[in-house]
Amino acid sequence: MSIDKGVSPEAASSGRAAGASPIEFRLDAASGVPTYLQLVHQVEHALRLGFLEPGDQLPKVRDVVAALAINPNTVLKAYKELETKGLAAGRPGQGTFIQATLSQVTLPELTGLHRALLGWLADAGAAGLDEDGMVALFTSALRDFRGDRSHYRRSGHASRSGQADRGGTASGETEGVA
Amino acid sequence: MTTLTVPARSEEDATPRPVPWRRMAWVTWRQHRFALGGVVVFLGALSVLLWLAGRQVYSTHAAAVAACQSASSLTCPNAIVAFNGTNGFLSNGFILQAVPPLIGAFVGAPVLARELETGTFRYAWTQGFSRWRWTLAKLVPLAIALAVAAGLFSLLLDWYYQPYFDAANQNLSLEYPTPFFPGLFDLRGIGFAAWTVTAFAIGALAGLLIRRVVPAIAATLVAYAGLSFAAGGFLRQHYIAPVITSSLNVPGSAWIIGQWWTKGGTFAFAGGPPDSLLTRFCPNGPSGPVGPFGKSKPVALAQCLTPHGYTQWTSYQPDSRFWPFQWIEGGWLLVLSALLIAATVWLIRRRAA
Amino acid sequence: MTMNVIEASGLGKRYGGTWALRNCTLAIPAGHVAALVGPNGAGKSTLLNLATGLAAPSAGGITVLGGRPAGSPAALDGIAFVAQDTPLYKNLSVADMLHVTRNLNRHFDQPYARARLDELGIPLKRKAGKLSGGQQAQLALTLALGRRPRLLVLDEPVAMLDPIARHDFMATVMTAMAADGVSVVLSSHVLAELERVADYLIVLSRGQVQMAGEVDDLLASHRMLTGPAAEVDSYAGRPAVHARRGDAQAHLLVRAAPDDPVPPGWEAHPVGLEELILTYLREPGAAALPGPSRGRGTQPSEVAK
Repeated sequence: MSIDKGVSPEAASSGRAAGASPIEFRLDAASGVPTYLQLVHQVEHALRLGFLEPGDQLPKVRDVVAALAINPNTVLKAYKELETKGLAAGRPGQGTFIQATLSQVTLPELTGLHRALLGWLADAGAAGLDEDGMVALFTSALRDFRGDRSHYRRSGHASRSGQADRGGTASGETEGVA
Repeated sequence: MTTLTVPARSEEDATPRPVPWRRMAWVTWRQHRFALGGVVVFLGALSVLLWLAGRQVYSTHAAAVAACQSASSLTCPNAIVAFNGTNGFLSNGFILQAVPPLIGAFVGAPVLARELETGTFRYAWTQGFSRWRWTLAKLVPLAIALAVAAGLFSLLLDWYYQPYFDAANQNLSLEYPTPFFPGLFDLRGIGFAAWTVTAFAIGALAGLLIRRVVPAIAATLVAYAGLSFAAGGFLRQHYIAPVITSSLNVPGSAWIIGQWWTKGGTFAFAGGPPDSLLTRFCPNGPSGPVGPFGKSKPVALAQCLTPHGYTQWTSYQPDSRFWPFQWIEGGWLLVLSALLIAATVWLIRRRAA
Repeated sequence: MTMNVIEASGLGKRYGGTWALRNCTLAIPAGHVAALVGPNGAGKSTLLNLATGLAAPSAGGITVLGGRPAGSPAALDGIAFVAQDTPLYKNLSVADMLHVTRNLNRHFDQPYARARLDELGIPLKRKAGKLSGGQQAQLALTLALGRRPRLLVLDEPVAMLDPIARHDFMATVMTAMAADGVSVVLSSHVLAELERVADYLIVLSRGQVQMAGEVDDLLASHRMLTGPAAEVDSYAGRPAVHARRGDAQAHLLVRAAPDDPVPPGWEAHPVGLEELILTYLREPGAAALPGPSRGRGTQPSEVAK
């Protein structure tokens, strides 16, 4: 991991401004989510929405720190997390660059998932849960899922086209409880 | 967790060369230029006043000397009165005695006390210039500057008081204080500069110990007053063993330290004679003790008592010893100032917070 | 290069009859922002005064920047201190303050300092006492950073500043850390903002160190257990720092490794930094001190005796 200077050749060729990153970070201090996770999520969100493409440079540590007044080690930690997930890679002396995209879920799959979720929500409502209860139940299940992926993984449900797996680090992450 | 790597630095950081002394010169000047400027303005104003007053003294003195050339001159008594009355409030020097302690206290006390009182020592003593060197680099130049300013001013004082010590005065009944007169001794020669530096050194130490400006100034003035009284009242007369004589012609400029009478080799009485002797031998004569300062009038008493076997003894310091006494006093004051400054520097190494 | 910016062993300081700091043993590694927290009178300023050489220990010892004695010229050279109320010579102009700082130090980066003051819009001719609180703090910080220190020590730096000034101040500090690798030790009252800024924590209470370590380690080694109140008394196995109980439900803050199993009937939640600190401060008897080599296993240990 290095402190970054300079701009990537891909970013230059893709028409982005030299030395500038396409995205800016923001911080929600009251959210309870650890800072570095917020940065990670923002990168993933930007990838999903298309603001970031492979080859784009992530904001320089120094710029993030100057704008948000956070510990530079936190930014480094976020970038390292992205590296672990395979989404980004650091180039010594240059910076950190997006390397891959998130696994894409195709539209029919999304539609099917959405419909299944609506059904679940209807069942939960019928059982007497209000919205907060539904969120709590979902969050709890998500935690269990994260803790024991192999148990819950269905066979054949591998991600598409060799992109980065959405693996989460189980014990290293700390997330605020809703 | 990854952390930033600390960039490597050269090994000289482990034992750095000290910051050169001359860098502090600008800092000292910049921080204390108002104090020094104030001293210059103060002494300058006093100088103007003294010069104007001095011209009056010189002119009345010249007139008196001229008028009393002939013994039977009629204008002589008036001229004498005129001279003796010129600027009487300055003639005993006591007002000007306040100048050295004021200068010393107001310049010396805030050097350390203000840093401690306002908390700026937390900035000043965490810089790269170690704090004992910082202290020394402030106190020594300031002391020297004050010594120079005070020394120059005391030249003017010497000039002002010159008419009072003119040799002709003794014969003309003009004011002739002994040079050792306590109000005047340390205004002349090197005494003024030496006492100013001492006051500064007391102020600096007081500022360090008391840590507040105004109380430190007050303490400096009190300590100085005590020292000054001790020096003038007790110490000074012993610098050189006084001359002891039984002669009745002790010069008027001498500093009479003591007088006593003996009879047949044994001590009879000191100061004035007891009433019994007076009534027996001097029914018409003067009485009363002779003070240590001012003119002595031994002649009248001696006329009564000497025929009866009494001898008067006087111990005094002749005025020729003025300069040796100045050197002695200046010397121990300088040593004292150096010790006080050294103590301040040494104490500052003890942590301040 | 993993050296310790501050190492204390058995450090104590007594004023008159009371010990402001006692039995303090610390090893703060370089490359971190170490936050010193605790209530008023806990000894934070005392510890910082000892580290910067403004006070001498009554017991034990303290070295800085990899073994240099605190207060020695070598230590003074590498440490810049911004004390509470950002002391400046109020009667001197900003330019004069730059000049004074340059003259009192071996290294001073005057172009950097001028450029920063320019960026911040602080006029060089104005007297330091006439600047706003935020500007004074920024000036003091600029003077400190201009010395290119390896360790920046800040004593309650933002207590008197408004939110914007506070943000700008911390942004400057963090940028200096990012750009020059300066380590930072700061004392703070404001717990809510610590998580963003601190990655090493020292909790002081009544003159003693209650908790010290990397923030990630501390958070990972604690958890909040929620479960039946009835079981709290019979709960054995884990050292509990603090228990809060209602009639039926209780919360226990315990020390546990992340992969320790959760007892049946209990739920485990991670703890936030502010909650962790506050809980420890309310339990004066609790302590969580690092052992000889904490951290993820294979780091070489440079912690002192």
